[in-house]
Amino acid sequence: MPEIKTQDFSAASIAAINDPKLRRALDRVASGFEVARLDRVAEATPEVWEDWRQQARDIKEHTIEHLDYYLDLLYTNVTAAGGHLHFAKDADQANEIVAHIAQTRGVKVATKSKSMVSEELGLNPVLEAVGVEVWETDLGEYIIQLAEETPSHLVAPALHKSKEDVAELFSEKLGIPYDEDIYHMAATAREVLRDKFMEADLGISGANFIVAETGTLVIITNEGNGRLSTSAPRIHIGITGMEKVIPSMQDLSIFLRLLPQSATGQRITSYVSMITGPRRSDDEDGPEEFHLVLVDNGRSNMLADPALREALYCIRCGACLNICPIYARVGGHAYGWVYPGPIGAVVTPMLVGLKRAKELPQASSLCGACREVCPIKIDIPRMLLDLRKKTAESPDKNLRSAPRIERVLASLYVRLMSGPKLLGMAIRFGRLLQKTERIIPFFSPMTKDGKWIRKAPLPLLSRWTRSRDLPTLPKQTFHDIWNKELSRDDS
Amino acid sequence: MTQNANISADLYVTCVIDQLYPEVGVSVVKVLRRLGVTVGFPKEQTCCGQPVYNSGFSKDARTLAKRVLQQFRDSEYVVVPSGSCAATLRVFYLELFAEDPDLLVQAKALSAKTYEFSEFLVNVLKVEDASACGATHQGTVTYHPSCHLMRELGVKSEPKKLLSTVPGLEEKELAGAEICCGFGGTFSVKFPHISEGMVADKIANVQASGADTLVACDMSCLMNMAGALNRQGSDIKVRHLAQILDSESD
Amino acid sequence: MTTPDSLDSLGTPKAEFLAMVRQALGREDIPPAELYPRLTDTVAELEDQATQIRQRLEESLPALLDKLADMAAKGGWNVHRATGTEDAVGYIESIVRDSGTANVVRSAQDVFDQVPVDSALTNLGAKVTVVLRDDETPREVLREEIRQSGVGITGADYALAGTGSLIILPRKGLSRLVSLVPPVHIALVRAQDLLETMDDLFLLRRLEYHQRGGEMGSYLNFITGPSRTADIEMTIVEGVHGPKEVHMVILG
Repeated sequence: MPEIKTQDFSAASIAAINDPKLRRALDRVASGFEVARLDRVAEATPEVWEDWRQQARDIKEHTIEHLDYYLDLLYTNVTAAGGHLHFAKDADQANEIVAHIAQTRGVKVATKSKSMVSEELGLNPVLEAVGVEVWETDLGEYIIQLAEETPSHLVAPALHKSKEDVAELFSEKLGIPYDEDIYHMAATAREVLRDKFMEADLGISGANFIVAETGTLVIITNEGNGRLSTSAPRIHIGITGMEKVIPSMQDLSIFLRLLPQSATGQRITSYVSMITGPRRSDDEDGPEEFHLVLVDNGRSNMLADPALREALYCIRCGACLNICPIYARVGGHAYGWVYPGPIGAVVTPMLVGLKRAKELPQASSLCGACREVCPIKIDIPRMLLDLRKKTAESPDKNLRSAPRIERVLASLYVRLMSGPKLLGMAIRFGRLLQKTERIIPFFSPMTKDGKWIRKAPLPLLSRWTRSRDLPTLPKQTFHDIWNKELSRDDS
Repeated sequence: MTQNANISADLYVTCVIDQLYPEVGVSVVKVLRRLGVTVGFPKEQTCCGQPVYNSGFSKDARTLAKRVLQQFRDSEYVVVPSGSCAATLRVFYLELFAEDPDLLVQAKALSAKTYEFSEFLVNVLKVEDASACGATHQGTVTYHPSCHLMRELGVKSEPKKLLSTVPGLEEKELAGAEICCGFGGTFSVKFPHISEGMVADKIANVQASGADTLVACDMSCLMNMAGALNRQGSDIKVRHLAQILDSESD
Repeated sequence: MTTPDSLDSLGTPKAEFLAMVRQALGREDIPPAELYPRLTDTVAELEDQATQIRQRLEESLPALLDKLADMAAKGGWNVHRATGTEDAVGYIESIVRDSGTANVVRSAQDVFDQVPVDSALTNLGAKVTVVLRDDETPREVLREEIRQSGVGITGADYALAGTGSLIILPRKGLSRLVSLVPPVHIALVRAQDLLETMDDLFLLRRLEYHQRGGEMGSYLNFITGPSRTADIEMTIVEGVHGPKEVHMVILG
């Protein structure tokens, strides 16, 4: 598994916010993908779009509820098509399977088209350790492979990099002259990887959907590397999470609309590749062997929890990332692991452990924009609340990890709010403190009109007053005014 | 005005208004009375529990929620001048009490009669024109639709309808209106560096709108934006919708 | 882990894995088969739907051809509506000439009987290789030809008017690489190839699959426009790993 840095979220997010280059990169995303997605919604009309979302959700809900049935059906059909389906309970087992196939088949070179799950597994180093040269071929993945970084977005892995970054990277790692021209850089990648595609013994892909009815793996791509990796080598291994299965090929219509349109605003990607087993004997070309590795790696924890099960409906479109105001400010790396953004704030804790990643579900204002753009209507805010609840009060010590001070404050708050009397006393005390400030004006600087506090000396409030003024307590509460003036109806 | 004489509504004033912006509560009461509603105020009310609920302390939240269930048990209507608190009473209490059949019944009953202030005016009192509240306003206003109001309660058109019928009021479009202002309750102090950035973007849009007044239906959002505007030395006034409708408050 | 030569069941045995899934779902056994309508479609029912599709297509063919041309152009194809076979050949000639290549590869599909491109292109000075393996031309040789070529020409198995997509089903005589490796791809689409929606396409595929007792070939590709990326600064670049230029010649 790749290094887990979820516990550094606070520090990482502060660093991200102070990085002007990342700011510019993230601004490009917000104005790009989401605007295009809205065009598609308008084109479909909001009513039709809503109908599609509900259909997609119904299919996913049904499939996940009957996941065992569909995995069984899938197994039968992949096998009948001449392929092999392997079940991997965790990352180690998945990596073992791929390494085993590579070794026993004498694989020296492998080309990879985009697979987030393979990132999750940390597959590349495992293959390299058994002597396989691994080439990422998706341009964004290729860039971060050269940079030895992790992806920062589900769909556009290198979006945090400026063209200057990429030019420098290519110049350094490929030994070519520095050239910022984006077209030239894409052409360089094409040239470098061309030979590798043809030379590769093994092609590794992810899967956007797997069709149980026919045993078909579906990938949607734009660059052509997905087609090349799954066509040119003699072995193709598809790796994905067990939740990607859908019942019937007919179901693809709805998903092939919703996924590209939600992800980048494209009506459809340049390519949709549907793979059913290895080449047939008189095909002109194609792999001789087809393997599908389906991974659990913690997904069954989400499956087992009715509150979190719908996280498995995700089709990894990234629309939630593109709309999230938190993601827009901190970018993908701050989340500290493979899956960033709103869906990442649910999936990452469930896959790496809630205790370790407990900040992720907290770092949200629960605005609900993610739920609004999700093509599968996944209720992310509900799941964030559920994870917060587990952190605060789960009977399971592995999950309950809210700092003591928070629990104490919560109890104090409830005590304070248990009746107007105690609350009234607290308010009067607060007003007293304010009066003190006027006499001894070092305590908490107020504006001259007495309406605002510039700098609150108290632990949490000081974080507010770093950048915002805090209103002072007025002379009366609403309760006071009601009791004095309003309780009689004079209107 | 006798058209609504038969309607009695109990006010859930919210702790932010109660303790920090009582004048907003006063405007709410005045507007409702002008529309003929008999307004009650269960005096034991404090907090709906939202801050502790959002922090995951659902046991603690239930303690406070039970008080609300009890205090508003006999209300005909419950009017809440806050999208997030109304959402708490109407939506989140159903989840809080999902495992407790008896309290769930009460929560469902409360949910069925809880309305945010603007939706109560438009959908229950059938206010077509804000001048029925005696509203007038000289100046330009820009409206921020708060997240829970929009997305948990589905209240989008009601505030706009009311604003658009206030005589003398000119509305200016707010760019990026639907983007969160960055408050999010404890989020604003748990992740201040992110929250600050969000409110900075929001008030930049508010300032760019050219309006002299910022209006919303949630004082917590307005407190957040007002605090940032004031720190910048902005002259832009910040008002709850009820205050706009209660022109006497100007 | 099983013995090295057996690739049948690496990893967790199916029974164990499915039991784990069932346990997570809180169930004891696998639910019955009749739970999803589409999976209980019979061949007869699929054939019926296919007939209805064909009928609909026949009735709206001219409009569909227009729609295909429109959506394909929106999707990034260079669309040419050929007035006849001569016109089609002429257009293909001009593309090959402009590409400056001396090597053309094409699939062995029957559309080329209708649209004879070979002699025209040979007259231009280009070598035309038909990618169809036989005893004299093994795969490696053909692959090399494909790599060296500047233009790849195929027919279509289907063309989806709704999305502007070419649908290709690689098989004997139709290589996966001809429409992928050369920087220019030309596709010949005939009226009979037309379908309207993805639903139409998938219905026909499922019909074939079930008619043939669970077989429909190893591969299917939708092609909608040139190869693209926006991975560097969200700037769109065409012709990354796939063709930079794609032409759809519509006959009819």
